[in-house]
Amino acid sequence: MTSKSSRREFIEQSFKGLCLLGMGSYAIPRLSSKGALQQEPGEDELFVQEARYYKKLEELKVQCELCPRKCTVADLERGYCGVRENREGDYYTLVYSRPCALHMDPIEKKPLFHYLPGTTAFSLATAGCNIECKFCQNWNISQFRPEEVQSWYAPPQEIVNLAQKYKCPTIAYTYTEPVIFYEYMYDVAQAARKEKIGSVVITNGYIMEKPMVELCQQLTGIKVDLKAFTEKFYREVCSGELKPVLDILVTLKKMGIWLEIVVLLVPTLNDSPEEIDQMTRWIEKNLGKEVPVHFTRYYPTYKIKNLPPTPVKTLEKARDIALKNGLHYVYVGNVPNHPGENTYCPSCQKEVIRRVGYRILEVNLKEGKCQFCQHPIPGVWKSPLD
Amino acid sequence: MGKNSNSGSRSPFRYGRRGFFRRLFTPILLFPWLSAGVKRWSKNRPKVGKLSSPPLLNKRSRVVIVRNPKVIAEGGRIDTKILKEMVWEGVRVALDKATPSEAWQSLFGPNDVVGIKVNCLAGMGLSSHPELVDAILKGLQSAGVKEEYIIIWDKSNRDLERAGFTINTEKQGVKCLGTNALRGGYEPEPTILGAVGSCFSTILTKYTSAQISVPVLKDHDLAGVSISLKNFYGAIHNPNKYHDNNCDPYIAEVNSHPDIKKKVRLVICDALVVQYHGGPSYKAKGAWDYRGVLVSLDPVAMDRVGTKIIEDKRQEMGLPSLAEVGRPPKHVATAGRMGLGVDKLEEIDIVRI
Repeated sequence: MTSKSSRREFIEQSFKGLCLLGMGSYAIPRLSSKGALQQEPGEDELFVQEARYYKKLEELKVQCELCPRKCTVADLERGYCGVRENREGDYYTLVYSRPCALHMDPIEKKPLFHYLPGTTAFSLATAGCNIECKFCQNWNISQFRPEEVQSWYAPPQEIVNLAQKYKCPTIAYTYTEPVIFYEYMYDVAQAARKEKIGSVVITNGYIMEKPMVELCQQLTGIKVDLKAFTEKFYREVCSGELKPVLDILVTLKKMGIWLEIVVLLVPTLNDSPEEIDQMTRWIEKNLGKEVPVHFTRYYPTYKIKNLPPTPVKTLEKARDIALKNGLHYVYVGNVPNHPGENTYCPSCQKEVIRRVGYRILEVNLKEGKCQFCQHPIPGVWKSPLD
Repeated sequence: MGKNSNSGSRSPFRYGRRGFFRRLFTPILLFPWLSAGVKRWSKNRPKVGKLSSPPLLNKRSRVVIVRNPKVIAEGGRIDTKILKEMVWEGVRVALDKATPSEAWQSLFGPNDVVGIKVNCLAGMGLSSHPELVDAILKGLQSAGVKEEYIIIWDKSNRDLERAGFTINTEKQGVKCLGTNALRGGYEPEPTILGAVGSCFSTILTKYTSAQISVPVLKDHDLAGVSISLKNFYGAIHNPNKYHDNNCDPYIAEVNSHPDIKKKVRLVICDALVVQYHGGPSYKAKGAWDYRGVLVSLDPVAMDRVGTKIIEDKRQEMGLPSLAEVGRPPKHVATAGRMGLGVDKLEEIDIVRI
């Protein structure tokens, strides 16, 4: 081993140490010794693969069947997501093997609180999104076309190799909207499963049922961002629709895949007690009491900068409403050191998992049960593929 | 135009040394230098810039339609001499000047940094022709604009190359590049214009003092037509987000950007081949050898007249109108209401040559 590589390893380990101390994610300094190299402009064709869900129409048009937007796309045009292009009547994804973000994150950052707590997820994203949230934290990649952001070439097996190298039990498809890099995500998840590495997707849930059901065969967990509980908010703030997301949540529940929900509360836009009440009643009725729900704090960014960060009291109020409506696992997010970050046993009310930020301080679980009263706590507590 | 700077063989995965240094230094060397040009223009503007934009003639917009059957010779070859005469005469008449040179000089001066926004999405068949741009370059040079201070641009290098342009980011010669090839190619924050929130190309906002829009006259499956106003979808980072409702009011709102209103001094529409049906890509079935060039100072009037040409041809061919097929070009009227130009045919002075 050369002194140069030793130094690199030292830097990597140092970053990893920071990550494990709860300082957040760190970028992989160098992806691997051979593959996953930085892309140069003009190499776009490396990442082109025929899309799996579309139908051909007359005059070389196509209709995308991946998400409920169902874009009709003329020759040489792209869909709303900006990463799928019609080329002479065939529809292609332009982001296969083209991640623009690769990080190692605590699984709590997703957030997934009932999924292998304290472990690390190898996290990736490509450019693009099928909606446009005006408060998007990652708009610099989600709202740009793939050729407009720096990317790498990383085929599915390379991602799996990296996850193994960094000893990550999970690969997370996150940051932007994984639905739009469906083919890539699917193939990475399939390759990962063979190596007993799980896959979790962090999604807006704006996807057609068929591709979602097929994808679930390769996944071990999913987190859905429920943006609000009104069509108005979805339409005006996110350029999306609520109903297809609710339908997908019900589908996911039926499929039995591990599911958590995040609701980012934006002051005055989706944080009224009435809306939270309706939302949590719907969740309790359609998804059950045991699905974890995270109410997280908004910070001003992108196109909504004129509102203050969500007051902590608003998050606490939302949590109270959800608990009152019968949900068992309700969290407060983006407020480090808040007691609402902890998991409490719904039977004895004791802390079964204590957290600060992304750090796990204490786990009082034994074989998926509360250590104090033996009440089962739902979640994925051991490797789902063993 | 300058030499192709993408020549040479490299590993598809790695930067070659030249590629690496070019990528590293191009933004540093080229663009501060252009910025200096813009600053110099700003400083001297009262002496050179004689027009306030958009420069309308007697409150009545003029669109000049120049056609010549000989401009496309046998085999599809473009007669560059005839094309240059068409463009120059169109500019002269549009500005009502005695000579073409006088017309060019009334719009541009030696201290300008001029962007030429072409439309290259549709590849070689239906994009702004390089031969047309060459005629414009000669016009700019006749007005004293240094070739180093001219940038031919569109959204991406790929589109430009597909349309037959040669990328040049060297200091010498006319620049030719896509916004995506620039580090910092888009403004770091979105500009909010009504329902539009987009990061605009810095070639438009930062590196140029004037723009010439060089669209193509074509049918568009969503907007109805793609002419001058739609051309500036190629200046934003997220055009695919604004395709609903026939792209209305988004196209007009994009064109309400202060730098578009202020800097676009001339529109020269490539109508050598017109796609009256089946656009925005080239399809032989709906293409028409119109052998024309349209010139105007008013992008809205240009779009209104261009729409009329397309609608008339559709009628002649027995096709339903754009409204009947669910894609009326609503954005033209919206742009008119927003004061971006004249959208009523009866208020437009159409001159045919």
